[in-house]
Amino acid sequence: MLKMYLEVIRIRFLMMLAYRVNYYSGIVIYSINIGVYYFLWMSIYGDKPSLQGLTAVQMATYIAVSWMARAFYFNNLDREIAQEIRDGTVAIQLIRPYHYLIVKAFQGLGEGVFRLLLFSVPGMLVVSLVFPLDLPGLSWDWLKFACSLFLGFIINVEVNLLTGVLAFFILNNEGMIWAKRMIVDLLSGLTIPISFFPGWAQAVLSYLPFQAISYLPSMVLVKGLSGDAFWHALSVQAAWCVLLAIPVQLIWLRARKTLIVQGG
Amino acid sequence: MRSIEARGLTKEFKVYQSRPGLKGAFRDLLNRQYRTIRAVDAIDLTIEQGEMVAYIGENGAGKSTTIKMLTGILQPTAGELKVNGFDPHREREKFVKTIGVVFGQRSQLWWDIAVQESFRLLKQVYQVPDADYKQRLDRMIEVLDIGGLLDQPVRKLSLGQRMRCELVAALIHQPKLLFLDEPTIGLDVLVKENIRRFLREINREFGTTVLLTTHDISDIEALCSRVVMLDQGKVIYDGGLQELRRNWAKGKKVHFELAREVDMSELEARTAGMPLRWERKGERQVVLHLEQPDLAVSDVLAQIVQHVHIVEMQIEEVSTEEIVRKIYQEGMTLA
Amino acid sequence: MFHLRLLVEYFKQYMKTRMSYRGDFLVQFISNFFHQGLNLVFILVVFQHTPSLKGWSQAEVIFIYGYFLIPWAIFSSFLNLWSFNDRYIIKGELDRVLTRPVHSLVQVIMETMAPESLIGVLTGGIVMGVAGWHLDLDWTWYDPLLFVVFTLGGVLIYAGIFIALTSISLYTDSKSDIQPIMFNISNYGRYPTNIYHKIIQFTLTWILPFAFVGFYPASYLLDHGEWKIYALLTPVVGAAYLAFGIFCWNRGIKHYRGAGN
Repeated sequence: MLKMYLEVIRIRFLMMLAYRVNYYSGIVIYSINIGVYYFLWMSIYGDKPSLQGLTAVQMATYIAVSWMARAFYFNNLDREIAQEIRDGTVAIQLIRPYHYLIVKAFQGLGEGVFRLLLFSVPGMLVVSLVFPLDLPGLSWDWLKFACSLFLGFIINVEVNLLTGVLAFFILNNEGMIWAKRMIVDLLSGLTIPISFFPGWAQAVLSYLPFQAISYLPSMVLVKGLSGDAFWHALSVQAAWCVLLAIPVQLIWLRARKTLIVQGG
Repeated sequence: MRSIEARGLTKEFKVYQSRPGLKGAFRDLLNRQYRTIRAVDAIDLTIEQGEMVAYIGENGAGKSTTIKMLTGILQPTAGELKVNGFDPHREREKFVKTIGVVFGQRSQLWWDIAVQESFRLLKQVYQVPDADYKQRLDRMIEVLDIGGLLDQPVRKLSLGQRMRCELVAALIHQPKLLFLDEPTIGLDVLVKENIRRFLREINREFGTTVLLTTHDISDIEALCSRVVMLDQGKVIYDGGLQELRRNWAKGKKVHFELAREVDMSELEARTAGMPLRWERKGERQVVLHLEQPDLAVSDVLAQIVQHVHIVEMQIEEVSTEEIVRKIYQEGMTLA
Repeated sequence: MFHLRLLVEYFKQYMKTRMSYRGDFLVQFISNFFHQGLNLVFILVVFQHTPSLKGWSQAEVIFIYGYFLIPWAIFSSFLNLWSFNDRYIIKGELDRVLTRPVHSLVQVIMETMAPESLIGVLTGGIVMGVAGWHLDLDWTWYDPLLFVVFTLGGVLIYAGIFIALTSISLYTDSKSDIQPIMFNISNYGRYPTNIYHKIIQFTLTWILPFAFVGFYPASYLLDHGEWKIYALLTPVVGAAYLAFGIFCWNRGIKHYRGAGN
């Protein structure tokens, strides 16, 4: 079983390698975004040394880290699932001896690993040369960050599976997928760290899963969270991983039933 | 007036070659290897106005690439090309007004809108005057019997219905030259017959040149007097259908049923020296292969009929399809 | 004249097909408003922490954003080429287009246009209006005229760059997503350009002139004289980039390899 999932990861990895135009355009897009937000935030800081507990250098680091992390957790599983539902290929997937959604998740992992190795790591090196960043040296912080990032990845995958499977019930969910993507970028703390939102909004956001995708992992690295703060962040993420799995599985079972009844 | 005149027409493609394995894929990311493929290799082709020509060859022989150069979709790598007096790619917009194109596998009509809306749009695109438009359309609707389909969206039509509409769409501006790429693929016999009759009619009436690619030999037999055959980007035969048959249908097959079992050696001995071959099919069944077209069946019969009692006999002509298949397999050595 | 008649004809057909999918229409409206709303939220949150962005007040930044939406909306209505690679190259519809006696780019544009995106003009107008109302701006009689000229110039810049990017698809027959770059770079144009590094400012002015689709014209309308010359250059830059885009397209068509080889 594990062998099969490893194969799924490997195949997706090779597919990503094959689309080399996409690889290069991805590099351009991420550089553009890091650039926009870097300059925007630096001009917001102006002469102020620190805002909301983040110094200007930490802010720059936050931007770089959160975009490079996005390269790892981001994927288009929702769009792929919706597409497979619309053109009916999902029916073929159902007769295969595996859980469709788990295979999708592993495809997402293959994509993530690809971008992490060929994109985020070299990208981080380049960015740290261009902008003044404050990254920890060789320390346990990186391992903590890796754990937190991986949980963020799982949560994002679950959110995507949920949006994708909804295509069973809403035939044209292109708009919903688009909206979800923008919400995740804004509310996960990618474009604005959660601590910059007004107090009431922070309270609301702390009850949503999005901050666990980007804000928490990035803070683990940027602020070097340790001890209780770290374990708290990690347990919030773990809780969301488990909680989100429930609606995913429920909606999937409903969807399968409708699929079997309608015959695809 | 010549419809098509091509000299040394050539098209090359650069094909990307991926290296094997993970390591190869990484290397491909930075630096790719290309190989040049010559899809069409220095073709000479002249077609006169009013001819109906079949352009045949196996998949990958270069048929579609040639058609795409002739219709102005692709720019040739080398060679001279004049179609209806134009350079198809360079003078594309003026040129395509003089041709009609039907790709059997791909619709020329707009998928979501009703058939008649597509026609209207094409009328605007080709700037067809109102009176001509009405007259031509009415006529084609009648002959092809598509009156009931006009208000249906294209996606709801069956293949046969769609193909008839495609023909109308390709002829609305009354082109001098019509390209048909696999026009009867997957159609039933009645529709095929209808389409062929229609094509013969417009060819006779307006002198429309027709260039047809097909895998269906019966299309050629019904429509074309001339066949151009392509293999690996080169023309290997260009001439009449009759000549092709005569040269390649080396001979006939004759099936015999004999009254009693006869030794093969006896038959061979009696017909010694003749260009033929005997084959045993069963106890009393034998097949005679005549290996040259000028050898008459009666000559052979004269040699054996007094010694062997024949119960039944059947002469089998080689079909064009078999000829073509044979050429594909063996290559053209005769031309 | 011929092209105009053709445009009208295509538009009629477009409306007919569109009407059969009315649900999509609504979804598009809502997601458009939603998208603009989220971007405004970003600006509002940011200004909680600073009174000005390199000399620009909140209302001014919102005004620039509102202006930015207008050329973008017009551009996305008429150059809806996002799925060009998939539909015309991989599925091979370009073959059909090339057998028709109208310039291939004109046909593709007419077949893909999505006039419902014009709703963005309204959104942008409202955002700009509300912000401008707080700002007490000096409007002269020729400002509306200039506004129209600037907007058209901006649309042409988008069109030129987008067509040039799309032309890359004509050289390959594999799946490629280059166009999202367009969407991302254009983000630079919606904030005051003086917040960026000098090199980026130069790039946004002379290489990928996205400063002309939002910031320069809007700053002129905001009575900031420093970028007046740039603002007035907008239509010229637009014409130049459109010419560049069309040049790339025509070259690409020569290299087009045809579907299914």
